[in-house]
Formats: sequence, structure tokens, C-alpha cells
Amino acid sequence: MKPILITGTGVVSAIGLGKAETLEALLNGRSGVGPLQYLKTEHKEFPVGEVKLTDAEMRSRLGIADDAITTRTALMGMLALEEALKEAGLTPEMLPNVGFISGTTVGGMDMSEQFYLDYINSEAHKEYIAAHDCGNCTEMTADHFGKFAFVTTLSTACSSAANAIILGANMIRCGEADIVVVGGSECITKFHLNGFNSLMILDTAPCRPFDATRNGLNLGEGAAYLVLESEESAKRRGVKAQALLSGYGNACDAFHQTASSPDGEGAYRAMKEAMELAGIQPSNIDYINAHGTGTPNNDASESQAMMRLFGEDVPPVSSTKPFTGHTTSASGSIEAVFCILALQQGFLPANLNWSHAMEDGIVPVSQSTKKELKHVLCNAFGFGGNDSSLLLSKVPEPVEGPTKYDGASTGSATCFVMSAKQISLQQPLNEDWMQEPVVYDAPFVRSIDPSFKEYISPIEARRMGKILKRAVATSKEALNASGLNTVDAIITGTGYGCIENTEFFLDALSNDGEQLLKPTYFMQSTHNTISSLVAIQTKNHGYNVTYAHKGISFDSALQDAWLQLRLGKIDSALVGGHDEMTETFYHILKKGGVMGQDDEMCGESAVSIVLSKAVEPVETPLQNKSALRQAQEPRPLCKLSGFQMLHQPTMNTLMDALARLLQSAGKSLADVDYILTGISGHHDQDEAYLQETKTLFGQKPLLKFKHLFGESFTSSGIGMYVAAQCLKTGHVPSTLFVDSKEVSDKQPKCILLYNRSDGKNVSLTLLEA
Amino acid sequence: MDDLIYTLKQQIIEALNLEDMTPEDIDENASLFGEGLGLDSIDALELIVLMEKNYGIKLKDPSQGKEIFKSVAVMADFIQKNRTK
Repeated sequence: MKPILITGTGVVSAIGLGKAETLEALLNGRSGVGPLQYLKTEHKEFPVGEVKLTDAEMRSRLGIADDAITTRTALMGMLALEEALKEAGLTPEMLPNVGFISGTTVGGMDMSEQFYLDYINSEAHKEYIAAHDCGNCTEMTADHFGKFAFVTTLSTACSSAANAIILGANMIRCGEADIVVVGGSECITKFHLNGFNSLMILDTAPCRPFDATRNGLNLGEGAAYLVLESEESAKRRGVKAQALLSGYGNACDAFHQTASSPDGEGAYRAMKEAMELAGIQPSNIDYINAHGTGTPNNDASESQAMMRLFGEDVPPVSSTKPFTGHTTSASGSIEAVFCILALQQGFLPANLNWSHAMEDGIVPVSQSTKKELKHVLCNAFGFGGNDSSLLLSKVPEPVEGPTKYDGASTGSATCFVMSAKQISLQQPLNEDWMQEPVVYDAPFVRSIDPSFKEYISPIEARRMGKILKRAVATSKEALNASGLNTVDAIITGTGYGCIENTEFFLDALSNDGEQLLKPTYFMQSTHNTISSLVAIQTKNHGYNVTYAHKGISFDSALQDAWLQLRLGKIDSALVGGHDEMTETFYHILKKGGVMGQDDEMCGESAVSIVLSKAVEPVETPLQNKSALRQAQEPRPLCKLSGFQMLHQPTMNTLMDALARLLQSAGKSLADVDYILTGISGHHDQDEAYLQETKTLFGQKPLLKFKHLFGESFTSSGIGMYVAAQCLKTGHVPSTLFVDSKEVSDKQPKCILLYNRSDGKNVSLTLLEA
Repeated sequence: MDDLIYTLKQQIIEALNLEDMTPEDIDENASLFGEGLGLDSIDALELIVLMEKNYGIKLKDPSQGKEIFKSVAVMADFIQKNRTK
């Protein structure tokens, strides 16, 4: 690939605010890990790498009012983003042309864990409820500086920020954006400190990655953002690159939900893919910033992966986690900034605290050493085997190479929707609901579950909540119906992930205290559990990520698949949208104004959709094949021919996006037969929604689906499923029309999905028969 | 001892959420991990929590579990010798 320029960086961690302090610490071996100072917890025995500021001090530095609703993750994010934007010379006026992609897993958990009992029992602190959402932290961070063109949130546990960088790069390569700010932020919370403790992987001494005596990790916190920019844009703006992103890889270990495989398969594939994409040989890698958490399992597995890939000549390796602690979701971008500093200054960062060589492992660089570096790898791995690796390079003089990005010239942006399966409060896993949908008169309705025995063995089911069972069942059904043996990518959207397990863990934490917490509840509370479990169940080592951004979680997953199909990075993808709801969280969200307002019915959704670049030619059924077999020959449901996503849109930016969408698909608005809206029964929002829809699309017949399926964070996935079924059957059920006077028999050939999530984010999806 | 074994089986079923299983389905001499019941490292952590909660036994190092959790019988024996409640 043609390298992408990095024209600005910003970082905050335990070793300092900003790059100057960070560099000084890295060069002088000054660790930021020490006794717990800021987090209120009884676990004082664990050293941590905290950012040395209270929330109030951060607010004051940022000029934010003392009583403003903020989360620590968002505040740290703002500090890092401020430095990155400033360096890249990006002013608020320029942001409407700039995207923002952030990675986080804890989101607003620092507030949820403090106020959880208040959320349930009183009206106190209810203004923080909406801040629980990972996407809310991202928007809080972004909106402090202006109006970004689009925003989304990656949530793949400890590789979140690395995957945000990968998405940003894919957008630039596809020509969808010139500048995207990418990275991640994560504060330490009582929730995950206790969670890691329940997994018994925290060390009470400073962590010692790759040491024979290593005994676990130290938690850290921080944020870092990188400004990714196309070469043309940087030239036009007259800004210089600090370093280049020349390659990246993402693979799934597909081994276990918290442990890495003994041979480091996912890590191996991620690093290999990064080098292949960059066209760089292993012998040209000068340094690897390892994930190196200091747990016995990670360092053994990662060592194996590096030794398999590099043989006898493993380049210098270090883990910088003894400096910062494990900054979890932010580690991918924080350590990428460390790598950029190392490239610029010519040194190998030290692997502090190392003294004893481990058996069958690599020997890391134990002291900071001067060395000219050209190409470095930066690893970030997450629970569930969500493994990513970035290849960063020094800026050559002069910059050479092709002038255009590969994806920008891709002709057809069309792919096929091969299959779609859902479990919801309508008839699950089949399309009978289209004849006679059930209309519920209740504010919160649970999904109707099929028997899961056919999909999941009882022993496998022991740790699966409903959301996981539904995800596995719909995925397997969709894969089966697609006619594809396997897919190249599994991409999932979920607003709240396994909220039932989160609730169990919060309950125990709030009522019983910080002892004897169940590891299962913690490990199943991370958003990416769903996607990685589907990978384990379907033995899929391909690309695997999870998006968690409010009502555009599914849309973000769809966009990722669509970009990569265009780039030719993948030929097929399983895109999922999964959310469950509990009684407790339904009442909390209603109280917080997030969901369940007015006549809005809350549901749950599980939808799995298989996309493919090409349709295999359908064989002429042989005569001896049974009628049933013939009926199952895969035939695509419809085509996906365009996608756009915007943050805080204006009518002008919406019109532009619609024009781009139609143009890329070679269509005009006249070709669109129906508009599928997501109106939900939330009166004020629906009114604005319908008005906006009419302004944008004129007198097109409008459809709705949430009155039948309920509202959930990923119900836009159900919307796509509904539209696909209409296109396949050539019929729109009368129950879907917003205005009963508009009911018609007109065969749908082209449906446009207009998702307007709480008015702040919108997506446009164009589907054709 | 038989009572303890039976109670322990019930507690294991509950802690690990082994749907559709009864104490009678678990052979107290069969291996809990690998070939036998097919449990993994997370289950081992759950068993550590179970021992602390119900019997006041605190394991500091998860690798100790390898010996103790060989089978329900071995686990019961360890509990009988080390329980503080």
C-alpha cells in the first residue's frame, strides 16, 4: 500500500502530559507506575500507572466548567487530542472535513460504577446515565473541539486504539476522507481493576514483561491520537509528516476468550499481514514494540509468534508497559506514539524491570539504546484474540511512491447481501413475521429465543448469556444460508455488549464489595466478547473487530466491511448487530433519557448479515437433487451499493452525503423507491426525523420497522434485514408504511435506509434488488 | 465425606452454570479439566472463588489449582483438610 502520513500526534499517560515529557521519560527510563493515588478502591496492593491529575485538574486545564458532565476517559482523550490537532495545524473550522475514530472499552464506567445504585434507586446523578456509552465518551472528546465530519468507536478491549488506526487508514485509502484523527483513551476503573484481579493476572510488584519471574500486569491509563492524512492533503496544507503508517494487520487468534494460543497464531498473522501490506521484509524491521503485558500467557504466546515469524533473527523487542502500565484500550495508540518518537529520535525504548531470560522466549532490550530506525512494528492484542499490528516508518527524504491511494480508484463499490438472519421479538430465524407481524403493547419486550441446542453444546453454553447465544445462532444460520464456507472478516456492532453480565458485576461490586467477584461476569462484559466468540465458534482467524457507538454501532460495522470489500482486503464478511436488555438497564436508560421515551418500545436485537464481493455462479441443480436442496441454493437477497455516515450533520452536509451516495452507486434519487426510517415513537425526535427526511427525499413513501421490532442500539441492523427481505420478496408489507395512505404494491427495486441516531449521527445505506 | 462431595458437586454446577447437569452426572473421580468435564482456565478461577466463598480457603496462585482441581474427590479432600469455615 501507499504509506499514509502521520501529521500530528498527542499523548497522555502515567509518564507525562504531552510528547516532551513522554520522550524525556522514555529516554531516561523514568517509569510512571507506582502506588495507587487517584482511583478509589480497596485494592491498594496493586501498583498502577495513573495519569497524575484529578478529573477536576483536567477540566481546569481544558477550560471546562466544574459542573459539566465529563468522564475521565473523555477528559484524558481531550488532553491528547488537543496536542494532536495543534501539531497538525487543524483548527475548528477545518474539522467538518476531518473524521474522528476512537477506541475505548470502559467508556463512562468510571461514573456508572460510582452512581450505579443511584441510577437504580433515585433520581440523583441521572444526567450521567447517557455517558455510560463508549460512543458518548468519543463524542464528548470530539465535540469539545468542534464538529467532526464523522465519529465512531472501536471496542476490541486492549487493541481498540490500534483498530481505530486501521479503520482510519482504510477510509483514507478508499478516498472517503483526507484526514482522520485516530487513537484511543481509557481511564482505570474499579470495574476493570477488579475484573483483572478476578482473572488473577495483576502483579502486586512492578510488571516485568518477558522476564522469567513475570507474574502479571499493572493497569495503566491514558490516551493518544494520531492525525492520519493523505499525501495530497498534507501537500496542499503544507504540513510535514512525523512518520508514516506503511502497513497494518488484524487477525483473530480464535482460541479462547481471555487466553492467547500457545503458538500465538493471531499475533503471528497480524504482524505478517502488516509486513505484507507494506511490502517490507522481516529483515527490514528494526524494532518491535511488543504487546508484552507481563502475564505469563501473553509473553510466552507473543514470543512464539515473533520467533515463528522472524526465526533466528528476531529484531530488538521491548514492551513499554513497565513505563505506563497496561493502558488497555489506549495502548495501541499510546505505544504507536512511542514508536514514532523512537523513529524520530533514533532510539530503542527500554523494557524496564527485566533481568531473567524466560524459557522459550525472546530477550528484550533492557536499556534505552541509540539506534537509527526505519521500520518498526507496534503490537496490540485484546481479549478474545483481537490481535493487531501496525507498521510505522521513518519519513524518507524525498518521499517516493505512487501518487494515488489504491482504494480511491476502485470502480464498483457494490457488494452482495448474501443472507440475513435475526432473533428479535418477531418470529426468530425465519421470515414468517412478514405475513403477520406481532404488534406488542408493552414498553419493553424481550426477544423470542429459539432452542439453542442445535447451535451450542451445553458445556459451551455455560458462560453464554442470551446475547452470545443469539449471536452464535444467527451467525451460523446466516453463514449457512449464504452458501459461503467461510468469510474473511467478522465485524460486529453492539451498543452495550453483554449488559446482563455488566449488571451482575456492577451489582456485586456495589452491594458486596471488591472481593470474590466472578471472573466470568467480567470477561463476558467486554463488548468484543461477541465477535470473538463467533470467531472461536466458527474457527475464523480473519479480520475481527467490534464497534460500540450508540445507535450507529451496527452502521459502523457495516461501513468497515464495505470499505474493506472495496479495497479488496476481504471478499466476504459477516456483519453483526447485537444488543440485549435487562429490566434494570431498561429502567436506568429510560431514566437517563437514552431510550424508552414516550411511545418508544424497547426491544433486543440480534442480526447477522453476510456480505460478499461476488456471487458464485449458481450451479444448475442436478436432477437427482432433492427439491429442498434446490430451494437452498444461495441467491443474494440484494445488493449493497452505497454507504455514508455523518456526525452532527447540517442540511447541507446531508445533501452532499446523499449526492455522494447516489453518485457512487450510479443512481439518482428518482431510482429510490422507498425510504426506511428508524422512527421509534420518541415524539420530539420523530418529528424532527420526519421533517428532515421529507426535506431530503421529497415525497418518497416512508417505511418504519421499530414499531414491530423495538428500539435497541443496533436496531439499524434489523432495519437492513427488513429492507433486504423486502427487496428479495419484491414486496413491502403494508404494516411497514409510516402513513397508511401511502401503502402500495409497488415492487421495491431500491430502498434507502436513513438512520438518524438521536439526531447526532446519521447513516445512509443504499440497497438494490 | 460423601455429603461434602455431593454438596460440592451442587456448588460446582451452580458456580459454573452447567445447565442440564445434576450431581449424579458428575463422576467424582473423573478429571474436571481436559478429557473429563472439559473445563478450562476460567472455570478454574471460578472454582477458586467457590472455595474462598464457601470454605474460606484462599489460593494466591492460580497454578495451585492444577493439583487441587484434578477431580471432585481430590478437591473435597483438599477442602476437608484446609477449610476455615
